[in-house]
Amino acid sequence: MAEAPRLEDAVEFAENPEPRCPCVLLLDTSGSMQGAPIEALNRGLKTFKDDLMRDPVAPKRVEVAIVTFDNEITVVQDFITADRFEAPTLECQGMTHMAAGINTALDLVQARKERYNESGVPYYRPWVFMITDGRPQGEMPDFVDLAAQRIQEEEATKRVVFFGVGVEGADIPLLSEIVVRTPMRLRGLNFNELFVWLSRSMHAVSDSKVGEAVALQPPGWTVPD
Amino acid sequence: MISKGLRWLRGGRSVSQRFPEGLAPWRVVGASITGSSHQRFGEPCQDAAGWALGPERSLIVAVADGAGSAKLGGEGARLAISTAIDHLTGRRSLGSGESHEKDLIAALERARSALASEAEDRGVDIRELATTLILLQATHDSVTALQVGDGSAVIEDNQNGITGLTKPQVGEYVNETIFITAEDAMDRVETTTHLGAPSGGAVFSDGLQLLALKMPEATPHPPFFEPLLRFVSTATDAQTTGEELRSFLASPRVTSQTTDDLTLVLFSRDDNLAANQDRSG
Repeated sequence: MAEAPRLEDAVEFAENPEPRCPCVLLLDTSGSMQGAPIEALNRGLKTFKDDLMRDPVAPKRVEVAIVTFDNEITVVQDFITADRFEAPTLECQGMTHMAAGINTALDLVQARKERYNESGVPYYRPWVFMITDGRPQGEMPDFVDLAAQRIQEEEATKRVVFFGVGVEGADIPLLSEIVVRTPMRLRGLNFNELFVWLSRSMHAVSDSKVGEAVALQPPGWTVPD
Repeated sequence: MISKGLRWLRGGRSVSQRFPEGLAPWRVVGASITGSSHQRFGEPCQDAAGWALGPERSLIVAVADGAGSAKLGGEGARLAISTAIDHLTGRRSLGSGESHEKDLIAALERARSALASEAEDRGVDIRELATTLILLQATHDSVTALQVGDGSAVIEDNQNGITGLTKPQVGEYVNETIFITAEDAMDRVETTTHLGAPSGGAVFSDGLQLLALKMPEATPHPPFFEPLLRFVSTATDAQTTGEELRSFLASPRVTSQTTDDLTLVLFSRDDNLAANQDRSG
């Protein structure tokens, strides 16, 4: 009997677009982040990129966007796959326009989903990962309430997963009124570990099947309340 | 409690059996491997699959994918399969064509009750045992399938070639699906019957979806299935066939595309096998 070709060589795969796993980093670049914190954050962003690249599927699946908030809201990086992402060097100044930042991040997520739907790209539930060392500043309380309400609605309808991380100095009680999930508190300036965890969590999400919750590794970079 | 005729497949092992054996006129080969993402996080394979000869030499195939987010998803998958197959093989006869879908639905109901009592015995929430389930019953002149969740069943016949029997049930997000433990699972179950003699088919878990189906329509990609179905229809030794299928699923070509658990059960029908079967007892 003639040797049949190995299955590996005979079978052809359907060509489908890679499913995407969008993640917005929503970063506080207000004046209080000046010095050691922003330097640690910038190093953390490089670690994030490096760690994503270690995964076989994450570089093509995870899409990163970066929005910063201080006096201004800046889309430093619109969604880009991890393999093409370059970690920026962020600078800080001014107040903490957190609510406006939240709105921009959520708008960005919505727009991205529309793009995915138009082009038939399957996707995972988007993540917004907000890191702050303070509290909303220079914004009307009503405006902050509305942003908190929007997070609540979008979490309840499973449109997004929104995490809040407090660096030392952050108003954690207030943060927990803004985000739905219990805010996490960063131990010292352990941004490296935080971003390794985030990258691993994105690996887990980008090839997981989840029913209700994402099974994440417990974060080792937090301090307990 | 596992029925005698049930061939098991789980945790990265392939089943060892020789063709022709008790399954005539069917050749069946299946493999299940732990995805690299599960390996990395030290998680066991949460897919399970099984098959058995049903009444009137029908073939029963079941594939289940335990929820990665559930603690006992893998156990839920195995229990669902053994319960459903026990039910389907325990029938005296196949009954008329109209009863086939009802029988699969009854098997799903049994599986749900088994999971509910298991959860109660263990004192855990039934969602801890969450799993998807695909059941397929092939006879000499029809194929019936039932599905809750993702993954898919496809069949081949001489008239239509390869066609999809069931489609993955997914939500907005690619990793969201329905589990048989959901309260509304009985409302969301899908059943299909294909009339006509099947020459072969495949049942697989969601890990292979993006390689085997053209999305978003979820139609089978023939160049994926044709070599596989040819492979099973010409197989002579179940053990080496199982090993080859397993090494295919574990090959870099596949694992560079998906890191999920992978389960694939292939079958073909060969009426000559039945004659041999009678000789070998």
